[in-house]
Amino acid sequence: MSVLFYLGKRLVFVVPQLLGIVLVSFLLVKSIPGDPAVLMLGPTATPSAIAALQQQLGLDQPLYTQFLIYVRDLLHGDLGTSWQTTRPVLEDLVQRFPATLELVTYSLVLAILIGVTLGVYAARNPSGWVARVTDFYGISAGALPDFWFALVLIFIFYTVLGWAPAPLGRIDMIVLPPMPVTGALTIDSLLAGDFEAFKSACAHLVLPVLTLGLLNAGPILKMTQSTMEKMLEADFSRYEVLCGVPQRLVVRHALRNALPSIVTIISVLYGFLIGGAVLVEIVFSWGGAGQYAVQGVLNSDIYPVLGFVLFSAVFSLVVYIVVDLIYFLLDPRITN
Amino acid sequence: MTTVVLPPQTGSARTAEPLIEVRNLRVTFPSSNGEPKEVLKGIDLAVQPGEIVGLVGESGAGKTTMARSILGLPPPPGRISAGEVLFEGRQILKLSEPELRGLRGRRLSVVVPNPRAELNPLLTVGRQIASMARIHLNVGSQEAQKMALQILRDVQIPDPERRLNAYPHELSGGMAQRVVIAMALICNPAFVISDDATSGLDVTVQAQILDLLAKLAADQGSAMLFITRDVGITAHFCSRTAVLYSGEIMEMASREDLFLRPAHPYTLMLLAAFSHSPTLRESWSVPDTGVRRQTRAGCQYAQRCPIAQPVCRAERPAFAEIAPGHFARCHFPVRPA
Repeated sequence: MSVLFYLGKRLVFVVPQLLGIVLVSFLLVKSIPGDPAVLMLGPTATPSAIAALQQQLGLDQPLYTQFLIYVRDLLHGDLGTSWQTTRPVLEDLVQRFPATLELVTYSLVLAILIGVTLGVYAARNPSGWVARVTDFYGISAGALPDFWFALVLIFIFYTVLGWAPAPLGRIDMIVLPPMPVTGALTIDSLLAGDFEAFKSACAHLVLPVLTLGLLNAGPILKMTQSTMEKMLEADFSRYEVLCGVPQRLVVRHALRNALPSIVTIISVLYGFLIGGAVLVEIVFSWGGAGQYAVQGVLNSDIYPVLGFVLFSAVFSLVVYIVVDLIYFLLDPRITN
Repeated sequence: MTTVVLPPQTGSARTAEPLIEVRNLRVTFPSSNGEPKEVLKGIDLAVQPGEIVGLVGESGAGKTTMARSILGLPPPPGRISAGEVLFEGRQILKLSEPELRGLRGRRLSVVVPNPRAELNPLLTVGRQIASMARIHLNVGSQEAQKMALQILRDVQIPDPERRLNAYPHELSGGMAQRVVIAMALICNPAFVISDDATSGLDVTVQAQILDLLAKLAADQGSAMLFITRDVGITAHFCSRTAVLYSGEIMEMASREDLFLRPAHPYTLMLLAAFSHSPTLRESWSVPDTGVRRQTRAGCQYAQRCPIAQPVCRAERPAFAEIAPGHFARCHFPVRPA
């Protein structure tokens, strides 16, 4: 009852939130120097040709008119056209966004497995060797640049050992990709029953997922460790020990109390990684959405950038709503 | 889970062998100047099966440290530096962690104060009570649930069926206190420590709950250590009372001796503070100067004592038996007029 009410309230606020995000990112992208008309026509274009193209693209209009036109098109489901790919941005993103999402999701799962497990172990015994290893790991994971770490992994596992496939995209060139349903190759290939494609897609995921997973486990680990330490020192944990509750159970109960904080940091990371994985995408020629947006920024191709911002914003909002629902499930105290 | 071999249950009658005996218990806390601070300074205390013993003291006297150290869990960063606790003939402080776990909550249990912070906020009350039975008595979840309902009835919680599914934050302080009592008693322990259990409640609720706790413990034949700040409570419930001051037992006597013939100046001060007679209050209530210097050599109470002599600051008085069963740690015990 109260959950549905809350959900409705959240959904009502989604529209103004998105409008605000679109406005801010529109202004920001517009303030990047560079004229798409000049770039599109090349160095040999005449001033009159440039002026004509500017007029055709609506670039001669005042800024607020351009914004209104963009919003009007948005409402019709038109995110504009990329002049680089000459395709509608929506089509491009529908193809590329799942690639990024697939990569980021698997990476996050790995990061959670590492971070939560090590964090709990470290908190159980703050002076043990696991705690010391995790302290070191937490610091180094935050300090290593991801693209560099990716290159190291490629060097070891592809160049030297030859275990990993070439870092060129999401699937072997000779393997036919499965029919796109969800856009995630691992899921689509399973849906199609194509194990060859599934194997190839998984093999290509290993190194980028290792890169992002290992490096992003740091914040999850730190959060788990510190919250768990606090929970294990809390009155209710001490009381359980006093009542003779086995340590395994005390830890499990403490973890449940620590989960809201852990879920929060995971959701923040999820939203961040959609754009934050771009360097890794570039290293592995992933063809994801982040890479697409950066190309747009570099070439004054504003619609892919805006489209990417919009997709990420919607994604983040969805994640946050899901997280709020998880809080409801976890903590009986927030039903009012 | 290790099964604890239990000795045959002795009745409530007094036997020569105490149920639990604390000997020279010392607990230290690390302090900023490097010298560990002794919070319990060699406590000796024995409780017979079925007996209810009181332990009174003001805040900071070491009451909670005492309660938890008996179970081998001094409040961190405290450490048991010396002493032993004999329970049913076993050295508790030397047991392994699993053996201790088998005793805690099973044979020895604690009723804690401020229970709403002590209960796990994410689990229902019923589940927390039932888990005590499941962990210690090896019963199935249905049986445990039944036992939880029964014990909730015993502690007289209104509408116990509904309370089983309540979360701690949905309970009043008094109800939460009853839940903690239920958790302490569900396994029928031989020894219950009530650690200032009703300190946060209002007086009428306090009286109800203490009556209930004493009655249930008596029904089960459990011995109790009744820790409180209120001497009136010990007069009401305890056959014997020890007075704790600054980590030392200053006086220990039967109810009659302690309240009719108090010997230690601190006990007199405590009784005067609770007295209705203004003259008595004035002559004995010495304000706490806030000085808590560790005068290791002398009597801990010397700084506040109205009849202190130079020897009190120099020499620690012995814990002497001034009358049969009546002990006081004072160079100048007050003699009955």
